[in-house]
This record gives sequence, C-alpha cells and structure tokens, in this order.
Amino acid sequence: MTNIYFFLGKGGVGKTTISSAWAAGLAKIGRKTLLVSLDPAHTLSDALNVMVTGRIKRISDSLDATEIDIDQMIQDYLQDVSTTMKSTYRYLSTLNIDRYFNILKNSPGVEEYAILEGIKEFVSKDEYDIIVFDTPPAGMMVRVLGMPRVSLVWTESLIAMRRKILSRRRMIENVQGRFEADVGGEKVVLTSEEKEDPVMQELVSYKNEMEALRNLFSSQSCKVSIVTMAEELALSETERIIGALKEFYIPVEKVYLNKYMRIENPPEEIIGKIEEQGSVVMRMKEELKGIDIIEIPMLRSSPRGVEVLLALYRDYLKEGEKV
Amino acid sequence: MRNLFEVIKGFFKGVDRGMREVSTSLIQNELEEYENAFALLTMGFLSGLPSPPTGLVIRLFPHMQREIQVMMSKSSGLFDAFGSTMGKFSVD
Repeated sequence: MTNIYFFLGKGGVGKTTISSAWAAGLAKIGRKTLLVSLDPAHTLSDALNVMVTGRIKRISDSLDATEIDIDQMIQDYLQDVSTTMKSTYRYLSTLNIDRYFNILKNSPGVEEYAILEGIKEFVSKDEYDIIVFDTPPAGMMVRVLGMPRVSLVWTESLIAMRRKILSRRRMIENVQGRFEADVGGEKVVLTSEEKEDPVMQELVSYKNEMEALRNLFSSQSCKVSIVTMAEELALSETERIIGALKEFYIPVEKVYLNKYMRIENPPEEIIGKIEEQGSVVMRMKEELKGIDIIEIPMLRSSPRGVEVLLALYRDYLKEGEKV
Repeated sequence: MRNLFEVIKGFFKGVDRGMREVSTSLIQNELEEYENAFALLTMGFLSGLPSPPTGLVIRLFPHMQREIQVMMSKSSGLFDAFGSTMGKFSVD
C-alpha cells in the first residue's frame, strides 16, 4: 500500500525544503517515491534545482517529482466541460455559457477542488511506495483535506432530493406511460431509473470518490505533519491547524520546528527571540501531547539540490530528534 | 360500422389520456418544483445562495439540461407567482 505524507504549514516556514528532504531520504533507502508540490507558489523546482512544473520528472533512481500548475488545471478542466456542453446542448448557446464558466473559474472553492483532483490523480498511481505532498499555505490545505467530508454532506442531501424527483417521474410514468418532456425544443423521454439517470450517476460516483478520499485521509497510511517555527504566532497557527484537522478526524503525526536557533551565547539583539523560542517549545510540549516535535536548526544557507536535501534528511529528519 | 367503432374508440382514448393528464398534473407541478429547487441548490453560486462544493457543481452541470430549463421558465413566471399558483388549482 502506498504511504502518503502531507506537509502543512503557513507560508515561508520551509514546507518545500522539509518535504523535499523527506522524499529524497526515503528514495535513498530504496522506496519508490513521488514528490508532488500542490503549492501555486512553485518553489519545488528551486529546491531541487530541476524544473519539474507540469510534468513528472525523474530526479534520481527512486525519486520522481512534479509541481502541478493549478491555474492551468482549472482552465483546462472548465474548457473541457464547456466544449462538451456546447456541442451536446444546442439551446445553451442562448445562455451565453462562457459567462457562466468565467463565474465558475473565479468562484470560491475552485482552487481547492483542483488541488483535490490533483491529489486524487496522484494517489491512484500504484507504481509508487511513497507519495510526499508539499502543500499550499495551511488555511487552503485544511479546507482541501476537509472537503471530502463536507462534500459528502451535500452529496447525500442532493441524492435524497434526486430520489424524490425520480419517484415523482415514476408516479407519472405509472399513469401516463413513458414520461416525455420538452427539453431544448425536443421531446425527450426522462428516465425514472436511478441507474439510467446521469445526474444520479454523477452524484453516486462523486460520493464514492469522496468516501474513498475521506477514508484515505483518516487512515494509517496517510501521515500529516506540520512545519512551523518556534514563535508565538506560529504556535497559535499550529494549534488552529491541529484543531481544524481534528474536526475532520485527521490526526497530526509530527510537528517540525524549523529554523530553530541553537546559539550558546546569543548576542544581546536576539536574546528576546531566544527566550520566546524556549517558552514556545515548553508550551508546545505541554499542549501538543501525543505529537512528536522535531527541531531543525537554522541552516547557514538555504538547502538547494538533492544532495544537500539528503544531508538535511540524514542529519535531522531520519532519526527525528525530538525536542 | 367499423368507422364508427374507430371514432368511438378514439374518443374514449382521448378521454382516457385527458383524465390521466389531469390526474397527474399536480404531481407534475410537484416534480417541476423539485427540479427547480434542485437546479437552484446546485447552481446557487449564480445567485449568491450557499452552494455545494464547486467540484460537484462542475460535474453535474453538463447533465442539468432539463433542470436549468425548468428553473429558467419558473423564474420568468415569478412576476405573477400568485396567479400561477391559482392556475395550478384551476381557480379562475
């Protein structure tokens, strides 16, 4: 079974670096690994020093990587639906359908939907032992991970409503025979059978997909970690992420305290910062019981390239030095 | 004689069809209301209503031909909603 790793956190805390190092490390020990960046900020290519946007690129023997282009995905998908509709339903030309799609393109939730579609596509690939996801900033990613549960509430209500529609059609059929209606200027036979109704079929298949993703996100094979820093605001954000994920029954496995400052005799200018760091770590240990907290020190320079990322894995992530 | 039979048969067939249509007219109205509500719920993003996840809307959109049409025809008759309700119950 493929193991899935998600690295969440607010912008700029080092999610791409940590997730890339983790993927590079697991690939080095022979696990066939795919590293996927879902972040529209596109920083994975920079971390790996290899352009991976829009395609899966071989990085080393066991490591592949890609960075999905969310905007392009949304554009392509809506274009496909729009073309199908225009060719299928002639009467829709009077509705100026392009206008509807422009609204859809900018409607709330469409980015989250595209990201979820991306995740669905990658987790269905069975050639990998490990899939590591570098994610967009936490607020959006929490909504993505929670979307299957929210979608199921809507889908189940719509299925119940659709059943009422089909049952009324059946009643009319029982008295009148086949139920015909005028659709787009043509007489069309409307089905009352669930298995023949395309709307019901879409609802049921969407429900099955969302159930599979909901179960995957809460399963043992899906591991969610948070990358953060030892600062008051970052701690509050981390607690909010953990709380929000808990509502969706998604446990957090590890918290990585990135850019941790280990200085024996700190200069006066940063003494306050070091003290804040110490008190945040103490509070974290108390408040995040059951979650491993791992510190990664502030490095002399930003890690770039697989070899440097591998060293980061070896030095700090492999054993998971707990605070 | 045969022609007369056909005429009488046709007459009764017409009466039968008419009665069947009358007997289901309220169910048809109810059906249209459900279809209208289904379209409004799934396409609420167009009018500011709470809407299902966009992914679901996008997937349903291509199959919603009938419901979109019902919704449009219902909304075009909204200026006389009272009259249309009375009409359904044959109140002149």
